[in-house]
Amino acid sequence: MMGPSGRRRTGIFLLLAPLGGLVLFAFLLPLGMLVWRAVDNTELATALPETTRLLRSWDGAGLPPEPVFAALAAELPKAADNQTLGLLSRRLNFEQLGMRALLLRASRVAQGFRAPYAEAFQALDPRWGEPELWQLLRRNALPVTPLYMLRAVDLTLSAGGGIVAMAGDEAIFRELFLRTIWIALVVTVLCLVIGYPVAWYLSMQSGRRARMLLLLLLLPFWTSVLVRTTAWFILLQREGVANSALRLLGLVEEPLTLIFTRTAVYLAMVHVMLPFMVLPLYGAMRRIDPVLLKAAASLGAPGWTQFRRIYLPLSLPGIAAGSLMVFTISIGFYITPALVGGNRDQMISTFIAFFVNQQVNWGMAAALGLLLLVLVGTMLYLLQRIVGARVLQAGRGAG
Amino acid sequence: MTTGNASTPSVPLQHIAAAISGAVFAFLVLPILVVVPLSFTAGELLVLPAPGFSLRWYELFFTDQRWLLASRNSLIVGVLATLAATALGTLAAIGLWLGSFRGRGLLLAVLALPLAVPAIISALALYFAFSAVGLANSLAGLVLGHTVLAAPVVVVTVLAQLRMVDRALLQAATSLGAGPVRLFRRVLLPLILPGVASGAVFAFATSFDDLMVALFLAGPGQFTLPREMYAGLREQLSPTICAAATVLVLVSGLLLGLSEVLRRRDGAGKGDPYS
Amino acid sequence: MKRILATLAAAFVTVSVAAPIGPASAQPSRELFVVGFGGGFQDAARTTLFQAFQAATGQRVRDDTYNGELARIYAMVRSRDVVWDVVMVEAPELQRGCEDGAFAPIDWSVVRRDKFVPAGATRCGAGAVAWGAALFYDTARNPQAPANMAELWDVARFPGKRSFRFGPKMTLEIALMSDGVPREQVYRVLSTPAGLQRAFDRLEQIRPHIVWWRSGAQPLQFVGSGEVAYAFGFTGRVVQANQQGARYNMLWDTLLYSVDYWAVVNGSPYAQQGMRMIEWMTNLEPLQALARIWPASPAHRAFQEDATLRAASPHSVAANASRGLFIDTEFWVQNGEDLERRFAAWAGR
Repeated sequence: MMGPSGRRRTGIFLLLAPLGGLVLFAFLLPLGMLVWRAVDNTELATALPETTRLLRSWDGAGLPPEPVFAALAAELPKAADNQTLGLLSRRLNFEQLGMRALLLRASRVAQGFRAPYAEAFQALDPRWGEPELWQLLRRNALPVTPLYMLRAVDLTLSAGGGIVAMAGDEAIFRELFLRTIWIALVVTVLCLVIGYPVAWYLSMQSGRRARMLLLLLLLPFWTSVLVRTTAWFILLQREGVANSALRLLGLVEEPLTLIFTRTAVYLAMVHVMLPFMVLPLYGAMRRIDPVLLKAAASLGAPGWTQFRRIYLPLSLPGIAAGSLMVFTISIGFYITPALVGGNRDQMISTFIAFFVNQQVNWGMAAALGLLLLVLVGTMLYLLQRIVGARVLQAGRGAG
Repeated sequence: MTTGNASTPSVPLQHIAAAISGAVFAFLVLPILVVVPLSFTAGELLVLPAPGFSLRWYELFFTDQRWLLASRNSLIVGVLATLAATALGTLAAIGLWLGSFRGRGLLLAVLALPLAVPAIISALALYFAFSAVGLANSLAGLVLGHTVLAAPVVVVTVLAQLRMVDRALLQAATSLGAGPVRLFRRVLLPLILPGVASGAVFAFATSFDDLMVALFLAGPGQFTLPREMYAGLREQLSPTICAAATVLVLVSGLLLGLSEVLRRRDGAGKGDPYS
Repeated sequence: MKRILATLAAAFVTVSVAAPIGPASAQPSRELFVVGFGGGFQDAARTTLFQAFQAATGQRVRDDTYNGELARIYAMVRSRDVVWDVVMVEAPELQRGCEDGAFAPIDWSVVRRDKFVPAGATRCGAGAVAWGAALFYDTARNPQAPANMAELWDVARFPGKRSFRFGPKMTLEIALMSDGVPREQVYRVLSTPAGLQRAFDRLEQIRPHIVWWRSGAQPLQFVGSGEVAYAFGFTGRVVQANQQGARYNMLWDTLLYSVDYWAVVNGSPYAQQGMRMIEWMTNLEPLQALARIWPASPAHRAFQEDATLRAASPHSVAANASRGLFIDTEFWVQNGEDLERRFAAWAGR
């Protein structure tokens, strides 16, 4: 029989279970899948199951034994027929240029191969006799691969399987991550510099006036990021509102190039993120007791010293909360840079979308996403350490 | 407030701050408002001053098949996600409030996780997972995705409200013989209703504003308003987009008003909600 | 609590009931979904091909647009939740998608093979129309304009932004031709690492002057609003804009062209209807109706062999093909994906 405390426990469990289950199955599990996608390596096993099995038991020295060649000859045409070869050849070509053509060519003629198969393959293309090619196949017979994670930091696997730097013309992700962090940092600093006096001014106002002004701050906060980005997109057109205004004021003669620039990205992002900075700052400043400043003044401290020694340290929790919140949300921005930025102003999210939508390379998208997640996780850990989870509540998803 | 007293900074400093604040508020609000006059333009181009006044873009917005479908989808998804998120979030918040078990903090953090993960990663993860089970390209998938993203908002809002509830009230009611269901309906729910309602408003806004999840999960014929607007921005810029944006701004303003009213009626005016 | 649970249950019941409201869910009675690249061509095809097919057969048809990205199709096929049936695809993407199992093989017992031009009948695609892109500009804004690709790189003589399609296809060809590579040698040069480098180096020279476009409507919008001075745009759309009063000059000598195909998404529950629709849409009469309202170049034998049909649309790609470069499908099948990656990295750097 269940006692009252047991019943209570059951009740609490029942209250928590629905959302817990939802978050588990529709959020944590998908995040887990993201991690798994970043290392998943099943293309070879799907297209060439028997060859994969034999490659796994091969010791990797020199060339594989004849049965591997025989299995490959039997399975390549089948894979072409059931349309699994395409995914495999794309996957291998991603690792090593030229693999696509090599596989497709072999698949077209392998039906006519007769034993000894090893020689038949090598007669078709001498590359089939190179141990390095077979190393490549052997490591892709394994169900997981480090390749995507390596590529996400501009490294790759050499032909022999060692880790080497990516060729210069395709290496971009380190630069991209640095740029992403840089843009997020600039936006954070701009928000802080602009937001601090505003929050201070707000905190000085009487209740009614403060509420009125807060509403002005909350309207953009509640307006969707897309609408706000749209507004900037329209404002910054060559013959748009901003340029007409500048020309009307006689500030410029020729219309300025505003859209598709870094400046446009900063403008629009600061516009989106500013409320996220001002609200926690305002909260912290409201809690500062004026008596402390009065005491300092009566002790003869000049204004600047009061600010530096008393006001600034007391508003620090607000600064920390606002800054980390702005930074972590900014780092995942996609829509705003995509709409108002140029190619050199794109952040990591753009490449995640590129790999999903253009390249259909889920592994790369997942690996980049995972790195971004780790980055944000680190930030949130710091946030948690400094100000506690409570401030996260204002952090509605932005983008 | 006396000037010269250090607790109130000098007048020039206040003036400077006031000027900065004025400029910043203009910077925040004016760009949003710029779409409004543009949506009433008689011309095809997005220039100010508009060549004339016309309602044609609104007519297009309210009669065009695509925009109508997008509005309908946004509403269906928004309402369903709000219902689900509010119900689940309220239950979980009560559970967290009543319970004092090990790992409570961790559980709260996990439940709040969708708030902290960047939108693109949530969308990507949902896309992978929902593709695997056939939920991508369906409104159901979109509803599920929005529910997950909106529920934490409800949890946090309701939890904040619950912190103001006196537990002695519950004990008193229990000692008078009220069962858990009655307790909830007659005692607890009326006390936390403002929190639940403003959580629901927040949840609806979360779903209604979402573009990232819709970008990855919406199939053909399932475009939501933001998704349709985004397609328009990338393909054919026309004042209809401004009309759509104006409608969205109005909805946001309405939701903001609603949340303010709820906040005030709740009598929580003593504490500043943003502090 | 019961009430809340009841609300909850009701919500989920509603979700599961309401979900199939979307026209895209796989119910037996849904419409056939045709997806193309949008724009004036699709407007013309909607009346002359899609709705005409619906009127002729009673099969309900609905159309949507995309930008040619295969991702959504791959995702549908992988999740066995196919909601697009007939799609219009560019040639290299068709072949790649066919090898990868994204498209179903054409049922050549339903679609008559002999009516197509030789390149028009492939394993997974039936030829739809030829398309092309060429350099155009607004004569009102730019009295002086480059006369060929080499002059397009002369930013001192011809200031203003240039606009190309974002991606390596067409862009690399244009870069090489602007650098003096003759038309017939473009792909030979591009197939060497040095040639590729040359193309990217050439692009680098005018990088700050390039605005990229991603959808077919954008180049017209950019040129129309003065955002860019010179753009490569789809010829059909430029011709249409001129018919509607624009004064754009298009240089047919800068034409790059290829063929688009109709394909059926693998696993579509409407594959059979899709095949029948493709057969119907590639017949001569509907295509003639299309050609009357849009400068189309159908991949139908008659349009290639019959000079009067060609002469009827002087602004079509087919009528000007001899002045342009045919985009090499095989080259882009082999190298497209790698070059797209390299291009994206270059553009973002």
